[in-house]
Amino acid sequence: MSTLEKIKVGRRSFLKLAALSGITGATMLNASSALRDATEEEIKNPFPGSKKVKTICTTCSVGCGIIAEVHNGVWVRQEVAQDHPISHGSHCSKGIDSIDYIRTEKRVKHPLKRVNGKYKRISWDEAIKEISEKMLQIRKENGPDAVMFLGSAKMSTEQAYYFRKFAAMWGTNNIDHQARI
Amino acid sequence: MTNHLGDIQNSKAIIIFGANPAVNHPVGFKHILKAKERNNAILIVIDPRFTKTAAKADLYANIRQGTDIPFMYGMLHLIFKHGWHDPEFIKNRVFGMDHVIEEAKKWTPEKVEDVTGVSADLLYKITKAYATNKPGTLLWAMGLTQHTIGSSNTRMAPILQLALGNMGKFGGGCNILRGHDNVQGATDMCCLSHTLPGYYGLSEGSWKYFAHNWGVDFNWLQNRFADKKWMHTKGFSLAKWWQGVLQEEKIYSSSPIRALWIQGNGITSIAQQVKVQQALDKLDLIVIAEPFVNEAAVLTNKKDNVYILPTASQFECEGSVTATNRSAQWRSKVVDPLYESKTDEEILFLFAKQFGFYDELVRGMMMGVKDGKAVKVKNSFKWPEDATREIARIIKTIGLTGWTPERLKKHQQNWHMFDEVTLKGIGPMKGEYYGLPWPCWTETHPGSPVLYNIDIPVNEGGMGFRARFGVEYKGENLLAGDRATIKNAKVKGGYPELTKDNIEKVLGIKLSSKEKEIMGKNWKVDLSGLIAKYALKAGIAPYGNAKARAYVWTFPDKIPLHREPLHTPRFDLAKKYPTYSDKKNHYRVDTKYISIQQKDYSKEFPIMLVTGRLVMYSGAGVIERNSKYLVQLSPEMYADINPELAYKYNIKDGDMIWIHSPEGAKIKVKARFTYSVAPDRIFLPFHFAGVMQGKDLSENYPEGLVPYAIGESANTVTNYGYDIVTQIPETKAGLVRIEKA
Repeated sequence: MSTLEKIKVGRRSFLKLAALSGITGATMLNASSALRDATEEEIKNPFPGSKKVKTICTTCSVGCGIIAEVHNGVWVRQEVAQDHPISHGSHCSKGIDSIDYIRTEKRVKHPLKRVNGKYKRISWDEAIKEISEKMLQIRKENGPDAVMFLGSAKMSTEQAYYFRKFAAMWGTNNIDHQARI
Repeated sequence: MTNHLGDIQNSKAIIIFGANPAVNHPVGFKHILKAKERNNAILIVIDPRFTKTAAKADLYANIRQGTDIPFMYGMLHLIFKHGWHDPEFIKNRVFGMDHVIEEAKKWTPEKVEDVTGVSADLLYKITKAYATNKPGTLLWAMGLTQHTIGSSNTRMAPILQLALGNMGKFGGGCNILRGHDNVQGATDMCCLSHTLPGYYGLSEGSWKYFAHNWGVDFNWLQNRFADKKWMHTKGFSLAKWWQGVLQEEKIYSSSPIRALWIQGNGITSIAQQVKVQQALDKLDLIVIAEPFVNEAAVLTNKKDNVYILPTASQFECEGSVTATNRSAQWRSKVVDPLYESKTDEEILFLFAKQFGFYDELVRGMMMGVKDGKAVKVKNSFKWPEDATREIARIIKTIGLTGWTPERLKKHQQNWHMFDEVTLKGIGPMKGEYYGLPWPCWTETHPGSPVLYNIDIPVNEGGMGFRARFGVEYKGENLLAGDRATIKNAKVKGGYPELTKDNIEKVLGIKLSSKEKEIMGKNWKVDLSGLIAKYALKAGIAPYGNAKARAYVWTFPDKIPLHREPLHTPRFDLAKKYPTYSDKKNHYRVDTKYISIQQKDYSKEFPIMLVTGRLVMYSGAGVIERNSKYLVQLSPEMYADINPELAYKYNIKDGDMIWIHSPEGAKIKVKARFTYSVAPDRIFLPFHFAGVMQGKDLSENYPEGLVPYAIGESANTVTNYGYDIVTQIPETKAGLVRIEKA
């Protein structure tokens, strides 16, 4: 704690410092000798060379701005976009947590296939080969209307357009998305 | 959304039906609070539950669900009686309001009170406050749409606004709050079973237009379908695809459904989860491409042939998204796809190669327009910019011509150069509105922040109502009256949509023979861009200037009519306001109406069911339930129950209860005492999954991927019922019974 007391940090600086040292508050309480004081420059700019990427929140349809700070290909900090014409620096509890899309441990990390009731890891090549064979077999037996495609309001406009086109070229109008609910 | 969120700050009165923006769109709600603070606007909330939005309202009506039409007719009854309507607006810009006036006469405040549960006195207070403070804006969300009469509800609200002359006005309009970042964009692109991108429909002419623009032979495209017929027939919908598998109700398709392919669609967000589960079990193949485990993979008892493909999130790819106000926003890629994830488009391209249509799929990105024809102009493409260009080139119906990637990126770079209330740009963005809200007719048009506004010129975003249904009906003129001339337009009053045949006459111009040769048949398919160019030069929108239709001769109900929900607590009223006849072949499947409603469920299932969102979750909740931090704010599924109702069943705060649906489904959830629901109804949040009818499905998840929170799905007990036009499920009106577990 002494480290913190010395620089009389506010909440923001504390967060920056915590992010910088990458350790938890509990560890810091032990005042391990491995710690040193952050320099003023490190507090001001803990991710030298990082870039700020402008993007849009995905939770609802308001379209709030997000500034994502990326350091060495890693999304390290999320800032509200003070100058965004719709959100003007505001975020809700969901939007402020957008970075968790990346940080959560619960992402699907590799292709999975259910075998005898349990999900098993497979490679992309296996997945593409097996799925394609099954899809084409079904198409051969029952025609293209044997498939239902569910697209998404979470896709970009370009992806949504291509999803619709994909279904059309597969040969069906069995395609829909969240606008139906 | 006809206007935009910042424009709500121009409103003097705000009325919200079946939406809870304080929770579902908190940052959007900020603009409503600013309207209250800065403009002294009155906030009125109509909702079957005392929501957090209602808590901020000046006037709140606790309506019985499914009775919005009687409520609005009650308002119209008083509006016409007291002369609060806008006769000039109605005369010049509305068709068939006389039918509405007749129906409104029947809905006296006393009658409205009996049907809706809102007192005659409160109805008067609300109507007077809303009608006499102009401009007024009307907001809605799923509370209005998820009904058997949802499509009528969404017509009724604009009719109310038309009667008051609130359409096409700053601070007015109908402002629908979409649920996800790109519901608007994905809908515009028509990931929908009844139409092609840009709402072009499924007619042969539309398919030919797209085949031409995709650079593929029309016959090849037609041969991809089971048969020519199925190319022009609506497909199964999200709401009832599962009957395409189960076939308990008769289906009309070239094949039953054997495979389900999901890319970004929470399975528990649709009604009848028990049936959905049965359908999943019966499928031959399930393919899921998503960043998190879609609960379709968990709900099903299928032992094999279920695949999950890791897919990049929105922050791992680039492209545009359309906000609820029709503004396009460029979304830059934050980081590369995580782990082994691939982006959605990459997955489509990979499988298109396997299915043998990759070249056809991507060719459109390498095309451009020459002499009014789409032709191949290059041999490679860049994603997503060339897809954005392809869309801009093709989609004329809603005016996406101006949405070039260069312009959208420039808007992103200049966020700080736009005004919040007007969306007007300054500095380098002068003369444009933020996000170029569609219609954005040309590559220099500024976008249209407020639809149907004739008080500003077309080249500043003005326009009339679209002339989409001919110029007359039974001898009556459908075009706008003389007083509805768009500002600075060279054409006075109404005019038809522009075609190659009528453009010279309407605009008083002479086309050269070359222009005639390259011009498309009408403004919707004119790749030459000449129709838009000459229209804008004359100060008119290419799509015409007509009256808005209050009376629609092609709809099941020509004017909106009240019809009781299929499961109504007022069975006596179901006889007076019955639902529709059962509908055959509704999105390829028979759909029940009267055969459900004719039975009285209200004795055995006496409690109304309200569903909705929580502030820390969205949609089916898959995203937020995988966030350690958000989950802690509301870690478990529950039912809101009024202590008075709970007392009848000997239920205490925190007790587990069973909730049973008329279809025989049940869920086991924790009771939470609150006075925000009346004692005749309960509320369920719909974000949970992973528990089914009391059974924990944790072991069905892939190892390590059980979300931080799982729970029963509200949609296991929402009732059967589907909109007569759109087939949207009636999840906002239904009945249940409860018991202590």
